[in-house]
Amino acid sequence: MLELKRPPQNTRKEITYVRRDGADLALHLWRPKNLKGAIFYFHGLQSHAGWLWEVGPQYADNDIAFFVLDRRGSGISDGERHDLPDAETILADYAAALATVRRIIGEDTPLQLFGHCLGGSFLAALMHHPEFDVPYDSAVFCSSWLGKLHATLSEEQRAALAADDGTELWDAGLKSADFTDNVKYQHYIDHDDLAVRALTRRSRATLLELEKLYLQPRRELPDVPVSYVSGLTDPIVDLDDAHKTFIEMTNGRGGIIKLPTHQHYLYYTDVRTSLVTWSSTYALIPGLDHHG
Amino acid sequence: MPKTDPTPDSRTDSRTDSKKDSTKASTEWQKHWKARRGRFIEECRQAHERLLADLKCPTTAQDRVLADIIGVSAASLHWKEHNYDVLASDKASFRKVLPIMRYDDFAEVIERETRTKGGTLTCSPVLRWLKTSGTTGTPKRVPYTLHWLLTYRIPAMMAMWGTYLEHHPELLAHPYATLDTQTVREDVSDFVHGVEHQAVSNRHPQINTRDWNPPWYEAPWFGPATPTSHEGRMYHRIRHLLGRNLHYISSINPSTLISLRDLIEAHGKSLVRDLREGTVDGEPWGEPDPAAADHLAAVLEKPGFSLKDVWPSLTLYSCWLSASAGLYQSKLDAVFPGVAKLPFMSCGTEGVTTIPVDDTPHSQPLAISQAFFEFVPAEVPLGELVERGEPVETLLFDEVEAGRDYHLIMSQGNGLYRLWTGDIYHVDRIEGGTGGVPWIHFVRRDGVFHSFTGEKITEAQVTQAIEQGVAEQGLDMGLYMCGPKWGEPPHYVALVESHGSDKGVDAELSGRIDEALKTINIEYASKRDSGRLRPIEVVTVPHDAINAYVEGRRAAGNATQYKYKPFQQDIDFVADIVGD
Repeated sequence: MLELKRPPQNTRKEITYVRRDGADLALHLWRPKNLKGAIFYFHGLQSHAGWLWEVGPQYADNDIAFFVLDRRGSGISDGERHDLPDAETILADYAAALATVRRIIGEDTPLQLFGHCLGGSFLAALMHHPEFDVPYDSAVFCSSWLGKLHATLSEEQRAALAADDGTELWDAGLKSADFTDNVKYQHYIDHDDLAVRALTRRSRATLLELEKLYLQPRRELPDVPVSYVSGLTDPIVDLDDAHKTFIEMTNGRGGIIKLPTHQHYLYYTDVRTSLVTWSSTYALIPGLDHHG
Repeated sequence: MPKTDPTPDSRTDSRTDSKKDSTKASTEWQKHWKARRGRFIEECRQAHERLLADLKCPTTAQDRVLADIIGVSAASLHWKEHNYDVLASDKASFRKVLPIMRYDDFAEVIERETRTKGGTLTCSPVLRWLKTSGTTGTPKRVPYTLHWLLTYRIPAMMAMWGTYLEHHPELLAHPYATLDTQTVREDVSDFVHGVEHQAVSNRHPQINTRDWNPPWYEAPWFGPATPTSHEGRMYHRIRHLLGRNLHYISSINPSTLISLRDLIEAHGKSLVRDLREGTVDGEPWGEPDPAAADHLAAVLEKPGFSLKDVWPSLTLYSCWLSASAGLYQSKLDAVFPGVAKLPFMSCGTEGVTTIPVDDTPHSQPLAISQAFFEFVPAEVPLGELVERGEPVETLLFDEVEAGRDYHLIMSQGNGLYRLWTGDIYHVDRIEGGTGGVPWIHFVRRDGVFHSFTGEKITEAQVTQAIEQGVAEQGLDMGLYMCGPKWGEPPHYVALVESHGSDKGVDAELSGRIDEALKTINIEYASKRDSGRLRPIEVVTVPHDAINAYVEGRRAAGNATQYKYKPFQQDIDFVADIVGD
């Protein structure tokens, strides 16, 4: 499985479109020369595939095909900015993209689903969706406050949120300094004209709906390795609460990993390579054929 | 420049610690040099041999390059949106379907690519944006992709150094044998959507283990700790190499080499002091070297000393030697007496055009494995045709003729296809006859001419006329600068460096050059004969006058990219050099 001595690989970056209900969704792929595993990355509220220009080639150099779907309304995908459609549409978009990914990588390549921040909530919802049937081999939740709305809002507040169909914008209050202390990345985040920093109020009702899918599960998760990874602390996420939700969701069989940073966006910190290396390995190992 | 020395008492302790640090750093970079040397030589040798093999099978090489460009581009959004992925599959369809492009024609797709960082223009990750001056004052953004780095740009550097090493193996005789000013390592402070935007000559930071990594990569005069100002960086380079058996100084621009010598003269006292005290810029570094200090002090006493005086061990220098750079030759001869020379490759930020494979100074083979090349005869008004979107017939490498000038169009592995570079090359000869590789040299930039009344004087024509007139007058010449002066009627003014500068010769020289220009440019002759132009006015100036002016105007940063331009669009330089 491992080549211990080789030059840097001439990896590729490709963009294909997943056609969905009149919307073209951009599926970015950092393609390795020798494809041995794959990761499908669920980006958070603000980011998009363009944020991953450094880790994409790193994964590909590890023989990992690294896929990122610019969610509807994000990155270079079609769709209303700042306004999420209903939960079913979002999850169907992801399911369609993952079906495309499976077609590209084949049935036997181990596939890891990797959700960052809010992307972790999309991932958890998709994994628990009764109709989601694309096979995967591992899952990673990264710096993701799973069940945040349920944890921070009362029942009455959640009911009000669920009924809110307003289109005025709700500012997520994201600060680049919470994501990274590297000024290069801070500057990029602050000036990224593709970034989404606010959502319509009705979009938050969608987020609540997504949380319900994994907090009130209607299906068992497949028996594949699942882990939660974050910094030692996180300025945006209540890690204790996130861990609690994660442990309950995975019936106590998931792993919890902490990397030595206090920033939120691990890929823009000094632990980037550690995270890429660990998650690459975590994606590849389930592909070992013990019958070989 | 060198700081005032601190008082002896206050510096003693920190000096001891710093000395330890500097000794450790000194050891570390030499460890890297020793560990890297053998592999570097082998990589350069292999790249050089691959280039020679491609030059023997040029059609195969061009076919391979075009197939590679199509392979890395076809699945990109840009190609799919224009159906190029379906329509362009070979030399004929590629040239029929894809238009000839100027950099600005790529502006929109490059803007999109800055956000996706790969997948829009080509299917290779964009690792860096290369910065170079654009036509509108906005710096260009040339995509530096992983594919381009691995397949083209680094192999080109390796092949050239393979040539250098083949002819002068002594340049890696020991860690202090080579002073490389071709490339620098500078911290980058400019970004395009998070991605570094920097000059191609800045090789910092190293992207991967196949990125440019010469043995001196960690040397104290090469690393990012050196000052970024031209003078500061040069001072460090000089200081670290003084007292060493330096064999080779590499440069891109000849002016850098001239400047190196002049800076030794200008900062001689500081250099002597630094050597004597074991300091660099007044800060502790290594051991005092009184012998080197004495040697430099003696050299500084000699008027017009050469770099060979400074480093008697010098055996080689390299830089651009053709086109306007060739005007530096007499200065280079004075600075490097008896020292061998090798040319730098013809290249720009957008790509490599020729790579030296031997010691021929003024002509190099087309870099057949670096790009897919097309040519258009220089007399074709390519700019006008491209502007109007008219189809232009192009020639392939095996269709050009020796003795003629051509516009160069190149398609690069970074996605900039059919790029009209604006450079005009002269074909010197065809290696091995029909079907062989053209040996070419850069002549001038297209459009670098001036016209008061339709004469379209080009830089090459002025150069030729001045060289001819100066030779007829029995003078020597160094650099020149020429520009238009409006009047009733207007005329051109040229300043020419010469050891024989004298107001008494200027009138006769002007007449000779005017006659030469009439012969070279018949439109100029027509306008002169009809009184629409006054004769060119030539003023000889002391030998270093223009060089000093050029160096004085050298931009504070990015000095590696600075280019001396003999042909100016105004005559502001005249007042600066000779007064009113």
